[in-house]
Amino acid sequence: MIRPALSLAKRELVRFFRQPHRVVGSLAQPLLIWAFLGAGFSPSFRAPGMGELSYAEYFYPGVLLMLMLFAGIFSTITLIEDRAQGLMQGVLASPAPRMAIVLGKVIGGIAIAMIQATPLLIAAPFLGIPLGLSGVVWILFGFLVACLGFTALGFLIAWNMESTAGFHALMSIFLMPMWMLSGALFPMDHAPGWLWALMIVNPVTHALTLIRTPLYQDPTLFLATASYWTALLIAVTWAVVCLGLALWRVNRVERGVAMPDPSAS
Amino acid sequence: MNPAETPPPLAVVIRQLGHCYPGRRRQPPRKALDGLDLVIPAGRFFVLTGPNGSGKSTLFKILCGLTRPSTGSIHLLGHDLILDPQTARGGMGVVFQKPALDKHLTVEENLRIHADLHDIPPDLFRARLQAALPWSDLRDRLGERVETLSGGLARQAELVKVLLHEPALLLLDEPTAGLDPGGRLAFMATLQRLQKKRGVTILMTSHLFSEAEKADLVGILRHGKLLAMDHPTQLSQRLGAEILVIQGEGLEPVAQALSGDPGLTWQLHDHELRVQGQDLLQLMAELLKAHRERIHTLAIKQPTLEDFYIHLTGHALASDEEENR
Repeated sequence: MIRPALSLAKRELVRFFRQPHRVVGSLAQPLLIWAFLGAGFSPSFRAPGMGELSYAEYFYPGVLLMLMLFAGIFSTITLIEDRAQGLMQGVLASPAPRMAIVLGKVIGGIAIAMIQATPLLIAAPFLGIPLGLSGVVWILFGFLVACLGFTALGFLIAWNMESTAGFHALMSIFLMPMWMLSGALFPMDHAPGWLWALMIVNPVTHALTLIRTPLYQDPTLFLATASYWTALLIAVTWAVVCLGLALWRVNRVERGVAMPDPSAS
Repeated sequence: MNPAETPPPLAVVIRQLGHCYPGRRRQPPRKALDGLDLVIPAGRFFVLTGPNGSGKSTLFKILCGLTRPSTGSIHLLGHDLILDPQTARGGMGVVFQKPALDKHLTVEENLRIHADLHDIPPDLFRARLQAALPWSDLRDRLGERVETLSGGLARQAELVKVLLHEPALLLLDEPTAGLDPGGRLAFMATLQRLQKKRGVTILMTSHLFSEAEKADLVGILRHGKLLAMDHPTQLSQRLGAEILVIQGEGLEPVAQALSGDPGLTWQLHDHELRVQGQDLLQLMAELLKAHRERIHTLAIKQPTLEDFYIHLTGHALASDEEENR
């Protein structure tokens, strides 16, 4: 199980680094959004919920999360190509456990996302966020848990897709609104009731908590709060459900239906 | 543990295999395989042939475990494919029609992934790769990306790949499609060598008779049923020592004239009339005398596998039409 999964994950990384435009493209988009929105909003708006935060600082964990989620999910787009060409057939005809096929893709996607998001942590001190080593470790842990569920979701969707265009369309309908309603762009506290309800059931909201909290609090403090543990529980549950669904989908093979009655033909 | 060491006497046992694809909107369910029985002894080179839509691809997908059949049982190397697909998969190597290599990776990287999927430790992988290099032309190309290889070399890489786990049974779906004649011959020669040297059982689909004639066993599939299965020479000799092939325009009256003779059998396909029976030379002279204006060419030849195939599938077509009337 481990050897096939790691081998497939390594393949994702090798392919990623052989396509430099993918590296540049996936880094550039969130950075540009952050730079432009942060620079534009910071001097103009100061909402009461944000306290002393500048908008660029408030927005920072949201950009980290966006980088992670998008990089993780879009890494699974290679699955569409693998299935259209014969590669995935070859993998499926091998005795490798089906879970190794799911995990190979998901671990590869998380690794790619980590490589893209982690360097951005360098920006924290410049925003006035004092980030220690333990804080970095807990943020990386948050990345991992958040990315696990969403990359598995990407896998599940990509498996059912015939074209990359369809995948892009579906992702812009689901992923972008989910990210916008996670508290990445504005705090939940002052949102209207219906919006608040949408935000609280949104798994991205809880993934964001896992990243925002260690930026400002010491682990000894936030590990004693119910809000952190609630977010962690929800994110882990989400990951388990998505992985389970992906495994179920890979295991499901095309089946023949009952043979027609020979006397009828 | 190694299935190549003690192959069971029967590599493939298929009993009463039926497959029906689910219907779609305005499309009724479609029967692809119908009560198929097929037994291939270990160590044989079997080629499955048949017209498009005969069920070859469906059978292939089922054998690889990518599709579950509607009815019937399959044992590959003694393992039940439907109840225990993972074990059955371990002993077989599959070459698909579409390339199953990552073209962005090098040949060696692709081979290594395959070894990892079969849980082959790195040392063993090295040893087997070294053993495979002498018979392939990949020696100097291992570090190159697959996209730079010619079609023939890419197919060789695919074959080296599926042999890494030393399968006792090789399944190949039209493996020479897209190769030039030279590449095709080389690929077939490699397969024959593998069969002789390693005793691998080979099940390959093809619609090229030049390939089928190199096999030990040929099966002809049509409408999801096995119409005939035998050694290719045995099959072609079922037509007798010679056949008469007449090409021309408006050959129906010629065929009518033959119907009176109980010693003759014939089939008419468009502009071609094929006749089996005795004293064909004399018949040829008589027909030429009576129907000179309709006949363009006329030849007596030893039947080939292709002739038998036309005889068999053409005949079946005629009887299908009669049933429908």
